[in-house]
Amino acid sequence: MLARVAADLYWMGRYIERTEHTARLLKYQLTGLVDAPADELALGWQVIYRALGQSPPMAPADVDEAEAFMMADAYTLAGSLVEDHTNPDSMVTCWGMARENATQLRPQLPLEVWTTLNRGFLWIRDCDFPAAWKKRPVTLVAEAVDRLRLLAGVVEATMSRDDVWRFLQLGRFVERFQHQTNLLRTWDRLGAPDGADPSLSWSDLLRVCVAFELYCRRHGMTAERDTVLEFLIRDPEVPRSLRFALERIEHMLVGIDPLGSSHPLVPPRRVALRLAATVEAATGSVTDRERREADDSHVTDHLFEHLAGDGSRLHDLLITEYVDYPVSEGLPS
Amino acid sequence: MTVATTGTPTDPAMGNPGFETGDGGAGGNGSVVAGSGAFADYALDPRFHDEMFGGDGRPREACRRLSEALDRFPAEELIKLQEGVYRRFLHEGITFTVLGADEVSEQIIPIDCVPRVITAAEWDHIESGLKQRLTAINLFLRDIYHEGRSLKDGVVPPDLVLGCPQYRVEMRGVKVPHDVYVAVGGTDIVRTDTGFAVLEDNVRVPSGVSYMLACRAATKRSVPALYREHAVREVAGYPQRLYSTLASLSSSTTRPRVAILTPGRYNSAYYEHAFLAGEMGVDLVEGRDLVVHNATLYARMASGLRRIDVLYRRIDDDFVDPVTFRRDSVLGAPGLFHAYRAGNVVLANAPGTGVADDKAVYAFLPRIIRYFLNEEPILANVDTHLCREPEGLEFTLDNLRDLVVKEVGGSGGYGMLVGPHATGREREEFAARLRDNPTNYISQPVLPLSRAGCFVDGSLQPRHVDLRPFTLHGAEGQDVVPGGLCRVALREGSLVVNSSQGGGCKDLWVLRS
Repeated sequence: MLARVAADLYWMGRYIERTEHTARLLKYQLTGLVDAPADELALGWQVIYRALGQSPPMAPADVDEAEAFMMADAYTLAGSLVEDHTNPDSMVTCWGMARENATQLRPQLPLEVWTTLNRGFLWIRDCDFPAAWKKRPVTLVAEAVDRLRLLAGVVEATMSRDDVWRFLQLGRFVERFQHQTNLLRTWDRLGAPDGADPSLSWSDLLRVCVAFELYCRRHGMTAERDTVLEFLIRDPEVPRSLRFALERIEHMLVGIDPLGSSHPLVPPRRVALRLAATVEAATGSVTDRERREADDSHVTDHLFEHLAGDGSRLHDLLITEYVDYPVSEGLPS
Repeated sequence: MTVATTGTPTDPAMGNPGFETGDGGAGGNGSVVAGSGAFADYALDPRFHDEMFGGDGRPREACRRLSEALDRFPAEELIKLQEGVYRRFLHEGITFTVLGADEVSEQIIPIDCVPRVITAAEWDHIESGLKQRLTAINLFLRDIYHEGRSLKDGVVPPDLVLGCPQYRVEMRGVKVPHDVYVAVGGTDIVRTDTGFAVLEDNVRVPSGVSYMLACRAATKRSVPALYREHAVREVAGYPQRLYSTLASLSSSTTRPRVAILTPGRYNSAYYEHAFLAGEMGVDLVEGRDLVVHNATLYARMASGLRRIDVLYRRIDDDFVDPVTFRRDSVLGAPGLFHAYRAGNVVLANAPGTGVADDKAVYAFLPRIIRYFLNEEPILANVDTHLCREPEGLEFTLDNLRDLVVKEVGGSGGYGMLVGPHATGREREEFAARLRDNPTNYISQPVLPLSRAGCFVDGSLQPRHVDLRPFTLHGAEGQDVVPGGLCRVALREGSLVVNSSQGGGCKDLWVLRS
C-alpha cells in the first residue's frame, strides 16, 4: 500500500471517529435541554468544550469560564460544533475532511463505503440547522449519530481485513483513545469532582460512552466515580474503554507489520505496549481514595496526562514509521 | 490550403451547415416524428441526420423498439428515471472537478438516460477505421522520432512536425517498447448526412472512458428490459482490457506492477483516474509518491519502496519529469524520463505523442495513412484550413463568420471561435490573433452534427451528439471496446459537446447484429 494511502486511511478513520464523538456528546447535552437545570447545562457545555479541546465562548474579560458558559446560548454553542465551517473540529468540517480523504481512497474503498460516507456528508452539508433546531434541537445530531453508525456497519460488513482496513481502524482507535482520555479526565476534574455543585452524574458519563447498560449488568445501578472510571479505563469489553482501544491498536499494528511486533520492536508498537501496561497498572492510582486525597498533585490527573502524552507520541511515531520515513530507509535490500 | 480528405462530411449543397440559428423547435422546414407520446414534440430538421428517425419521421429499424417503448413511457416515469440517474451519480460521486477563480467545485456530468443506438455494420466500419488510424499514428510517431522518412518524403511538412510544441526532441532515438507510442487513444467521431468522420484524435491523455461505463451502468438500471431486448455489446471489460494492454508492454518476467499517475484530487478527470485504478486493482500514484533511484522507478509504500514497471500517466508531457521537462512541475517525478530511457519503466502513452493530435498535423492524417499503410482512410477527416499557409489564412479571415477556428494544441472546447455564434467584436478580436500568430490556428466548417433524442424538460427532444470510442494498442495488437463516450450538447441548438462547456453524455448501444 502506498504510504500516502496509508496516511489517508488513518486520517479518514480519525475524522469519522471525531465526528461521531462530537455528535454523541452533543446528543447527550441537547437531550438535557428539556429538563436539566441551567447551571448543570452550562457545566455540561463547559465539559464538552473542554473535552473536545474547544475554546470557550467569547465573554467580557472579568468573566470566568464557567460564567461564560452560563451567558452563552445553547443554539450558538451547538451550532459552532455542528455546522460552523470555520471551526476545524465541527462535525461538518470533520465529515468533509473524512470525505476528502475518502476521495483519495476511491480505488481502495468499497463503493458502499464511499457512497454511505458521501451521502452522510451531503446530508449534513445541506441540512438546515436553524430549522432543525426550531423543530427539536436533538434531532439533527441524533440522525448524525445514526448515519455514522450506519457507516461503521457498512465498513464492518464490506471491507476486507487487509492493510486498508487496518490503517482505517488504526486511525479510528488512536482518535478514540485520545478523545476518551480527554473526556474521562475532564469529567473527573471539571464535571464531577467530589462534593462539587453543580455536578454531572457518573451515570451520564456512562450514557455518553454508550456503556450504561453493560455497567449496570456488571456493577449494578449505582454509578460511583471509582467503579465507573475503572470500568471505562480497564474493561476490555466496553468499546469506549481505553483498554479496548489499545487492544485494537495493538492488533492492527501486528497485522500491518508482523516483523515489527517481534524484536526489535518498531517504535509505535513499543509505545502502544507501554500504554497498555500503564492502563493495566492504572487501577490503584485511580481508585485509591486515600492515596488520591493525600497527594496534592492529583494522581489521577497525572495518569491521564501521561496517557495523553503517550497517545500523541504514538500518533507521531505512526506517521514517521509508515508515511514520512526517509527514502534511504525504504530502499529494497 | 485545404487538406484533401477522403470524402468530406460537409454537404456543399447546404451552404453554411449546422448553424445554431433555427435549430430546434417544430417550425421551419422540420417535420414531427411519428410518435404521439413522449415524442409528440420531437421536431426533425432536414439539415441534421437524426440517430433515431429517418427523414420520413419513422424510426430507423434498429431503433424501432426503443423509440416505441420510449414513446409509451409516461412523462412522469421518464422524469423519475432521470432523477434516479442523477441521484445515483451524486451519491456515488461520479463527478468532474471545475476549478473556478476562487473555489473548486465538483459537478455531476449531466447524463441523459436515453441511449443512442449504433448498428453492428456501422460499428464494424468505425472499428476498422479506428484501428487503421491508430496503427498509422504509431508508425508515424516512430518515424518522426527515428528516421523521419515521412518528413523527407514530404508527407507532412517537416517544420510543422519539428516546430510543433508537442514534439519532444528528448524522444529522438529512444527505443519505445514494441513501438507502441500510443497505447490508449480516444477519437472524436461525428456523423453528418454524409457519414462518419473523425473530428479529433486524442492520443495524449484521452479521458471519458469512466463516463462511458457509468452511462452503461445507468441505463442497465434504468431500462433493464429494453437493454436485454436489444442485444447490446458489453463494455464492462474495459478496465481488464486496459490492464492487459498496459501489462503487455512490460518486459518484466513476473506479473508487472502497473500504476496510474494522476495530477491529484483537483484534476478534472480525477474520478476517472481513481475509478480505473480501483477497477484494475493498481495503485493510483501522485508525483510525491514516486522516487527514482538507479534509473528505476519506485513507489513509496507504507512498507518501503516498491518498483513500478508500467506507469499509465494521466498528466501531460510537460509535467512528467522536472529534470527533463518543466522545471517547476511537482506532478511528476525527478529522473522519471531517465528511468524511461533506460528501459526500466514503460510510460503509456509515451512522451511526445501530442504531435499526432496537433490539429494541424490532423489535417495530414489521410496522407499519413496512405503513406504508411498504403490504404485509403476508412474514416474521413473534416476539411481543415491551415492558417500557417497564406491561402488558408486568407480563406479563414474571409469566412470567419462561417467557420470554427481552433488552436492547434487546444482541447476541451477552449480557445476556439465558433464563427456563426460569435459577435462581430469577438470575430474582430480573433482575426487579430490569427494575423499575429497564424501557425497556432486551423479552421474547419461548422459541421451539421447528427442529433439524438434526449430527455429534456419533461419530453424527448433532439440534441447534437458526437462519439468518442477508445482504442487500446498493446504488444499483441489493437483492441477497440464496442462502445464509447457519447457526448451531448444539451443546450438547444448548441454544437459544443464538451462537459466543461455545458455538455452531457449518454450511453451508446452497439448492437450485436
